Amino acid sequence: MPRIACLYLPLFPLAARLRSEPELIREALAVVEGNGNAARVVAATRLARAAGLRPGLTLPQARALCPKLVARPRDADCERAAQEALLEVAEAFSPRVEDAGEGIAYLDADGIERHYPGPSPELEMGRALMNAAEAASLPARAGIASSKLAARVAAGLPDPPVIVPAGEEAAFLSPLPLQRLAPEVDVAETLERWGVRSVGDFARLPPSRIASRLGRLGRELHSTARGVDPRPLIPREPPPAFHEGMSLEWPLVALEPFLFVGRAALDRLCQRLESRGFACQRLELEMRLEPDGFQTRSVVLPAPTRDVKTLLTLVRLELEARPPGAPVAGFTFVAHPDRPREAQLTLYGPAALSPDKLASTLARLFALLGPDRVGSPRPVDGHRPERFTLVDFSPPPPPETRREPRAGRGLLAVRVLRPPVEIEVLTNGAPEEPEAAPVEVRAAPHAEEAKRPRVEGPVKVASGPWGLEEEWWADDPAGRDYWDVEIAGRGLYRIYRERATGAWYADGIYD
Amino acid sequence: MAEPLTQTILEKPMHAPAALSRLRSALPEGLRAHLRSARELDRDLRESAGEGAFPTAVPVLDRLLDGGLPRGQLVELVGARASGRFSILLAALAAATSTGEAAALVDLGDGLDPAAAAALGIDLERLLWVRPARLKEALAATEMLLASGFPLVALDLGLPPLRGGRGVESSWLRLARTARAHDAALLVGSPYRVSGTAAAAVLKANRGRAAWRGGGVSPCLLDGFNARVELEKCRGRLPGQSEELRLLVEDLPRPALPPRQPARPALVQAPAVQERAWPLRRAASA
Repeated sequence: MPRIACLYLPLFPLAARLRSEPELIREALAVVEGNGNAARVVAATRLARAAGLRPGLTLPQARALCPKLVARPRDADCERAAQEALLEVAEAFSPRVEDAGEGIAYLDADGIERHYPGPSPELEMGRALMNAAEAASLPARAGIASSKLAARVAAGLPDPPVIVPAGEEAAFLSPLPLQRLAPEVDVAETLERWGVRSVGDFARLPPSRIASRLGRLGRELHSTARGVDPRPLIPREPPPAFHEGMSLEWPLVALEPFLFVGRAALDRLCQRLESRGFACQRLELEMRLEPDGFQTRSVVLPAPTRDVKTLLTLVRLELEARPPGAPVAGFTFVAHPDRPREAQLTLYGPAALSPDKLASTLARLFALLGPDRVGSPRPVDGHRPERFTLVDFSPPPPPETRREPRAGRGLLAVRVLRPPVEIEVLTNGAPEEPEAAPVEVRAAPHAEEAKRPRVEGPVKVASGPWGLEEEWWADDPAGRDYWDVEIAGRGLYRIYRERATGAWYADGIYD
Repeated sequence: MAEPLTQTILEKPMHAPAALSRLRSALPEGLRAHLRSARELDRDLRESAGEGAFPTAVPVLDRLLDGGLPRGQLVELVGARASGRFSILLAALAAATSTGEAAALVDLGDGLDPAAAAALGIDLERLLWVRPARLKEALAATEMLLASGFPLVALDLGLPPLRGGRGVESSWLRLARTARAHDAALLVGSPYRVSGTAAAAVLKANRGRAAWRGGGVSPCLLDGFNARVELEKCRGRLPGQSEELRLLVEDLPRPALPPRQPARPALVQAPAVQERAWPLRRAASA
């Protein structure tokens, strides 16, 4: 017989709101649905309920009962994030989890109790489920039974977790009032007229008579009352992204308050990612703007990270660069997950970089300098020395044992001048002759303003020319004659003449 | 007396240096010197075993610095243009990446040619290239890289005029402290002295003399150049030592030029010469 656990979040709209705004937990808070004075109370905190608030009261009635009442509208973003968080808690225990909506999650608990040795393993498992939900700021209750209905009813009872032994579902449900079974069904009034009060009374009626009088719905309800729940557990597909957001009480016009609220959301998001062993590869920010607008921003990370500070810095830079242009009424962070980089530590080899630290450092460098200025360099096919490409820095693991450094080759390197410095060159022949050697180099007239290195002086030795031709078929072909020149008192330079224009440039220093 | 304090530290999470200083203050005078954190112990053991330095595979530099770049220290390499400064920097990076360690180059001058770097022996997969636009960004990036665990960070300030000035001394001290805290080697290449008192060692590369092959009526070919590297400052040692460094252009990628043959010994190392010996030799020859 299968065992099914149910995680149930009572007063779901209120629990979802308190998860986003935990500072309101000690206030008289009511979550309302509807607009203006027609808004009705959906759920309220204990303090507010003590003042007489109950679901269905209008907001003015609620305020009359409790003048210090803090009212918040139902927030679809908060509730979606809370529901996802609840399902993720369940998924930490079982791979088969069903999303039953509105603060209810079922999970296949078959065999999981083996992880909890002791006199009552299922009870321990129920406590562990509740503790895990509590750690995710969700005051959920747990119930375990052999059918979804019994597990759901068990989770709703006081003093959780409640365990219904296998095969005793009918006996467990029997003393409970019929409303526990299915409060919304329209046969409730009929049953009331028949004098059927409890689930047990209903279960004792003959099934064939029930089917003939109440139809298919009645038959199914009767099976349920006898502890037979034919509905199987339908596992959900894990979503491709993690959402976290909320509607704001007042539209925000400044960046700092937004980041203050956003940080809490990112904190929750990163906790959820961590609980699943994921990190954020791409972060999207969806903003609802006043009075009627919607904007989406995307922040691509160089490596998966779950460092809140880094993510917040990137969001700040994105919003500073492109402000939304209207007050923000609500927002949602969408994190696209990826596996964080892993590193195997070695006892004898050089230490590997910590993947988490590296990811957050790269993200901060991206934010400081821009993505085109950080990376691992790679040469590009071709001959033009100024060309290169950058790829993501993802070093291979270090060797298992420490290696001796390779013997130095004592080679002279060229420091590339990027972009090339424009110069004027006097040659010992006609300027258009490629073989005419440079005899003097002068700085271009505007070199001083451009704050580029000055390249000038008489040429002591010139070596060249080396011809370079590339991409003659393209729109931007390269045809150059290179020279190595030693300029008196100023060092060794690599200069070239553009064949197309006859202009001279210095593009490197032997240094 | 130390036992209750140890219990307190274990029960209440503390920052490790704070816990260590509290423990030290609680111990009797004679025992304080025997208390080491794991990081300090590891550093002391490596230093005593002669493994505290980061070999650069540039024999001149390794000799002048007693084995290589000291870990946890800032070493400044000063050199004008065409002094071999950039070549030494890249050689140090090549040595570090050849051992399997990751290294970072903060390139304020934006002067790296990846193809030439690969030819010089740098494992590009293990090299992070950061190209800041100003000195302030370069310093911030260097600090981040040191703190993230890179064992070797090379900061090249490029050619004058430096974009962003020299920087304030406190920022260099801060970098030196970060290098010390993370046991990383920091090599700063600059056209003139910038790091002030923060540097544990300062090397000066003087402008090199170019060596040409051929000449006269035959065409010239650049063969390399000789530069003199001098130890200007080193904590715990007398400065003034200098050595000749010869750099070759062998195998340097050159547009449309076939590789030169025959291969010759890559590094021709001139014998170590003490600067003070010159007048004596001259006097002897006279």
